[in-house]
Amino acid sequence: MSTFSGLNTAASGLAAARRGMDVVGQNIANQKTEGYTRQRVTTSAVAAIAQTGRFSVGALPGHGVSIDGVARLGDALLDARVRDALGASGYWSTRAVAATTIEASLAEPTANGLAARLSKFWSGWQDLANTPDSGAAASSILESAKELASHIAGGYRNVATQWSNARDSADRTVSQVNATADQIAVLNDEIRDALASGRSANELMDQRSVLAQNVARMSGAAATIESDGTMTVRLGGNALVSGSDSRHLVLAGPASIDSGQRFSLSWASAPDLPVSIDGGELGASLSVLAPAAEGGMLAGLAATYDKVATALADAMNTQHRAGVTSTGQAGGDFFTVPVTGSAALGLQVAVGSASELALAAPGSGALDATNADLISQIGRRAGSPDALWSDQVTRFGVATAADVQRAKLSDSAAVAAVGAQQSVAAVDGDEETISLLTYQTAYQAAARVMTAVDEALDVLINRTGLVGR
Amino acid sequence: MTQTAMRQLQSNLSELARLQEQATSQRAFAAPSDDPAAAAAALALHAEQRRTEQYARNIDDGLAWVTAADTAITASTALLGRVRDLTAQGANDGALDATAKEALAVELEGIRKELLSQANTRLLGRSVFAGTSDTAAFAADYSHSGVPGAEVTRRVSDAASVRVDTDGAAVFGTGDDSVFALVDKIVADLRSGTNVGPRLGEIDGRRTAMLAVQGSVGTRQSQIERAKEAAVQNSVSLESRRTAVEDVDSIEVLVRLQAQELVYRSALAVNARVLQPSLMDFLR
Repeated sequence: MSTFSGLNTAASGLAAARRGMDVVGQNIANQKTEGYTRQRVTTSAVAAIAQTGRFSVGALPGHGVSIDGVARLGDALLDARVRDALGASGYWSTRAVAATTIEASLAEPTANGLAARLSKFWSGWQDLANTPDSGAAASSILESAKELASHIAGGYRNVATQWSNARDSADRTVSQVNATADQIAVLNDEIRDALASGRSANELMDQRSVLAQNVARMSGAAATIESDGTMTVRLGGNALVSGSDSRHLVLAGPASIDSGQRFSLSWASAPDLPVSIDGGELGASLSVLAPAAEGGMLAGLAATYDKVATALADAMNTQHRAGVTSTGQAGGDFFTVPVTGSAALGLQVAVGSASELALAAPGSGALDATNADLISQIGRRAGSPDALWSDQVTRFGVATAADVQRAKLSDSAAVAAVGAQQSVAAVDGDEETISLLTYQTAYQAAARVMTAVDEALDVLINRTGLVGR
Repeated sequence: MTQTAMRQLQSNLSELARLQEQATSQRAFAAPSDDPAAAAAALALHAEQRRTEQYARNIDDGLAWVTAADTAITASTALLGRVRDLTAQGANDGALDATAKEALAVELEGIRKELLSQANTRLLGRSVFAGTSDTAAFAADYSHSGVPGAEVTRRVSDAASVRVDTDGAAVFGTGDDSVFALVDKIVADLRSGTNVGPRLGEIDGRRTAMLAVQGSVGTRQSQIERAKEAAVQNSVSLESRRTAVEDVDSIEVLVRLQAQELVYRSALAVNARVLQPSLMDFLR
């Protein structure tokens, strides 16, 4: 043990206290940084150097404190829970937003909805039945028919527009996932180097965990930390990021809503290997865009518009052909639907003028209105377009309510998971202040120890051996 | 603690916004997904209300038709009564000479013209006694232009339609059997000196037929009036059902709105007290 080892011990105490205060300063400065996990200095006592042989002097005190490193106080389990919760919450909230948006555009059960317009149309036929000789009533019914056709076509176009928007947003999400995967791979590389060479990689790990949460929210991917410090991100069982390598996703599918094909997600490096994705915003977008045969929300609604248009045209045409005009000619088709393509978009009124309206039953006189009355009752039959539409609106409302409810539940689960994570990892102002006080006191105490040892050495060096002076 | 506080404040505020939306729009649900069962009921009720409004219009129109027919038949019956009186007078061969009979004949011809114009009563351009034809009910040769078996009906409820026109052939007869031809025959008889006594029986026959048809017109009129009352009651009950499903109780919403405002204010006050102090305030 050297004469001056006391000074070294005190000096190491000073250094440790100073490092402690630096770390507290780092924590306080980063209190509001997104994804920051609080850090703490880890120290350990230095044991005395063992001496054997003739000059050993018995038990010796230790040689001060050594700074082992700066620990990151995160919990991997809580982080994983947050990623899962965010994946579910991203999925359900995207579905709920899509459903409520399209539901708002249906405008049911207000007077602007399709159900009210169909009712108005059938009433118009009753008015026409009351006055079959009135030109005003006839032209008003023709206008009403054209309005109805354009309302149905407009509704279909709304759904198709939302489908295209969802497709664009799915494309954007895929490219964001790819970009984030690349960034995670780069960070993995840097973190592995830093840990291998003994440097601290805490800030890099914070950045990486924020990126991992983003990927989880966007695609429902799961992440695990490997023993060399890198993070492996898995999507559908296969690795999206592994070490410093990242793979890219590719989305392929139809360009318009009435093609009836499904979307497929695959790896860029292996296009025939499909990726099964059922979480995150991307999973929700794909489920919203699915074709009608697989229960896709938007395609199903577009198919309903087509069914309503076809049912309306068929029922009207059948009844209209059964009647005769005021000059005795048999009625023709009232609505035409196109042979190919969407029935809703192509619904047209085939009757051009009031004289082509077949209001009378055959052989009942020129101003008979039996057929007009029968037409007005079409809306009340089973299988009428009104029944089809209100049935579908109700089903859609029930499904949307279920989606909204699940979105609320998964949102509160995500909030709880994030709360649990933050309770461990977030910086608490009061705790850091107390740590600061502690380190400050420790520094003052270590400085005092140094002063005391210095005075003792002063006695030894300057006063010893001066006899009688 | 700050995160929890912020979330609570936001959820309170969103509840406040929802209640405010309810209070200003007076609707219990903004979209079908808020309450799918109520939305389905509301759709059905709207459709029924629309139909009931339409039936009310039909009923008013139908009442105009049957009233016009009733008025015309009443007038015709009175005219036919006058014809009978004149015929009875003319049957008294002994007391009347040719001039008197000519005077009777001229009056009878005038009455025949009036009868024909009653038979061709029009309502808004439609013939009341030949509803589905686009020409006058009776032509100059007393042929009826209506199609037998054709009716003009008005739908008064979901299940019932009522006939509003009247078959002119049943009231006045057609062609040679018509009441107009009968009057012509009486005139010819008077002018030619034949006794018109036997014609009285035929006049009575036509009168009975007219009264019979008037009876059925009256039945239909009372049927339409009953339908009108039923339609009014129906529309009132539909509106009250719709309100129960679709509208909010204003008082209840206002009370809830006040309560929620109070909750929000107290949350704000509590958070302000709790979040502010920290250790920094107490250190030198």
